[in-house]
Parts: sequence; C-alpha cells; structure tokens
Amino acid sequence: MTTKLTPEERRRREAIAADDARFDALLESALRIDVPGARGARPPGRRWPAAVAIAATLVLAAGAWLGLRTEAPVYSVSPLAPDIIAHIHHEPKALVVTARTLPQAELDGVLRRGRASLAGPVGQVSYAKLCPFRGQMVAHFVVQGEQGPVTVMLLPDEHLTEATPIDQSGFKGTIVPIEGGGSIAIVGQPEEELEDIRDRLLRAVRWNL
Amino acid sequence: MKAELFSLGERRRFERVVGQLRQEIYRYALWLSRDPTVAEDVVQESFLRAWRGFKGLQDEAKARQWLVTIVRREFFRFRERQREETMDPGLLAEIADDGADPLVQELRIAIFALEENYREPLALQVLMGHTTEEIAAIMGLTQGAVLTRLHRARDKLKQAFVEDGTLSPENT
Repeated sequence: MTTKLTPEERRRREAIAADDARFDALLESALRIDVPGARGARPPGRRWPAAVAIAATLVLAAGAWLGLRTEAPVYSVSPLAPDIIAHIHHEPKALVVTARTLPQAELDGVLRRGRASLAGPVGQVSYAKLCPFRGQMVAHFVVQGEQGPVTVMLLPDEHLTEATPIDQSGFKGTIVPIEGGGSIAIVGQPEEELEDIRDRLLRAVRWNL
Repeated sequence: MKAELFSLGERRRFERVVGQLRQEIYRYALWLSRDPTVAEDVVQESFLRAWRGFKGLQDEAKARQWLVTIVRREFFRFRERQREETMDPGLLAEIADDGADPLVQELRIAIFALEENYREPLALQVLMGHTTEEIAAIMGLTQGAVLTRLHRARDKLKQAFVEDGTLSPENT
C-alpha cells in the first residue's frame, strides 16, 4: 500500500509528526479501534457479547479461586528520590526522544510560574510543564541528552545538605543542592552522562522567590 | 442463602470492576493478536479466569493491570497452541476502516505492521494508560527497555507516516 505523497501532504504530515502531542492524539485515536457489539450491531459469528454472558453466568458456579493478589508498596516516609521517580512515571509523554525544541516563551512561562529562571543555556529543551510536587508547583522540563530524554525538576523548597544519587526503576540521576537553598533533580537513562547537564544547570538556575 | 447473597455481591462487584474495562481489554487483545476471532477467544477465556481469581484482587485500583496480565498470559498460551501466527492484510484493512479519519486508518495499518515487542508496550501506554513502571512489570522488562521500545515504536510509526506508508503490511 505504498502511496506517493504530494510535497504539500508530506509537509503536513511532517508537522503532525513533529508535534508530539498532536501525533500522540492521532495515535490514541488509531488504537481506539471499534469494538464489536459496542455500536449495537455486531458482525455475524462474533462471540464477544456471548463470551461476557457466559463469564457472568459461570461466575456463580465457579468454585476454584486462584490466589492472585496485588499489593501496593507501603512507605512509612516519603523520600525525595522515589517521589521524583513516581512523578516521572506519571508523565511518560515527556520521555520521548525528539528533535523538537520547546519555544523559549513556553519554557520561560513554566519557569516563571515555578519561581525560577535560567540565566544561560542548558541544552535542547523538548518539554516543560508546571507540576504539583510535594505540595508545591514546580518547573519540570526535559533536556534531550546523548542517550535520551533527561528529566529536570527545579525544587526551590527542597533543601539538601549534599548531592543525593538516584538509581531506581531503570533511571539514574542526582539531586543536587543549590547554594542558598533549593535543589535540582536531574534524571536520565542509566548510560547517560549527566555531568555536563548538571553543571550547566548549576550555572544557569536562579530562584525568583 | 448467605452464600448466594455473597455470590451475588461478588458478581455485582465483578461486573462493576471488570465490566467497565471490557472494551479496552478487547482492544488490547486485538492489538496483541491482530485477529478479531482470536481476540474474542482470548478475552472470553480471560474473563473466566478473572472471575475465578477475582476474590484475590484486593485492590480494585489495580484491576486494569491485573486483567491485562491475565489477557497477556492467555494470549501467549493460545499462541503456543497455534502452529504459526497469521496476519491477513485484507482483514486488518477491514478492521482499520471503521469510518475514522483516513490518517487514523493509515496509522492503524502501520501499528498492525509493527513488531509485537513495539506494538504491545505502545498499546499498554497509549490505550490502557499504564505507566512505564507498570508496563515493565507486565512485560517482565526493565523500565529502560520499555522506554526504548516506546521511543522506537513512535519513531517507526512517524517514519512510516511521513514516508509513503512504508510500514504497511504488504511491505513488511
């Protein structure tokens, strides 16, 4: 089914592919395929609704119980590193390898509302969002590193005495304190060299408290 | 009488917790199998197994991941019984064509043509809303591997999207 695209159509598609949010919306529509029976009519021979009916009927007769259990981990305290990793997991769309660079005005807006600013370049920023984190709104952005996306969270309210390594759930990184208060979380792929990004951030980040 | 009431209560709980996931579970099974008949069989068997194990589901918030794990196991069990995986491009084109936007239909064909190790995590993330941590647990992978597969899946789809549909089934 190879089709020849017109230059105009190709440009249109390239624009969609370059816009992660737009492409993901298209992707979601594509994955939400029609379900037989969900629209009322169902194709002949399809047994889907019958399957549900059988399951519902058999449930009363079923006597064997499998010991499938799911248990949530319990933390007596909420350490910073696991909270950062958990936050990253809740924004998987941020972790996309992309050539896209976020418009500077958009990044500046997020930083301003996160009570921070950047006094110098930190790399190619592809994503930025103001996020709730441990009761405060903070700037969360992604710098494209050599090995993939690197998550950066600017945490003006988290005061550390020394750098804290992060090595959890397939991510590695560090939380570095800033002189005068606050800290920066920098998290990437295990093989990513984070030192350059860390040093650039330490030189550039300013708090606007 | 008490046992009947308990069963009725459990049945209602099952229908409430599991019933709302039916459509998504079917879609997931379809993206795994690329065959509506197989998807229906897998879902049917999975629902029966889910009911048998339902009492063990302590945390209803985890029902989605629990069901996905059952469907996945059932699908691989089903496929082991098959001599070989088949894919009918005509049938896939028919499934993709439900009146949706032509770009969406084209993307569906491209997703069907993706290798399973890219197609599945993509469906788990975008369709089922799982985090990379959950996908890693479901698929028995590290999160790094999940992220890599998700990135590559998107890259392949974008490439097909802008380069004349080179991922369509006839070309793989």
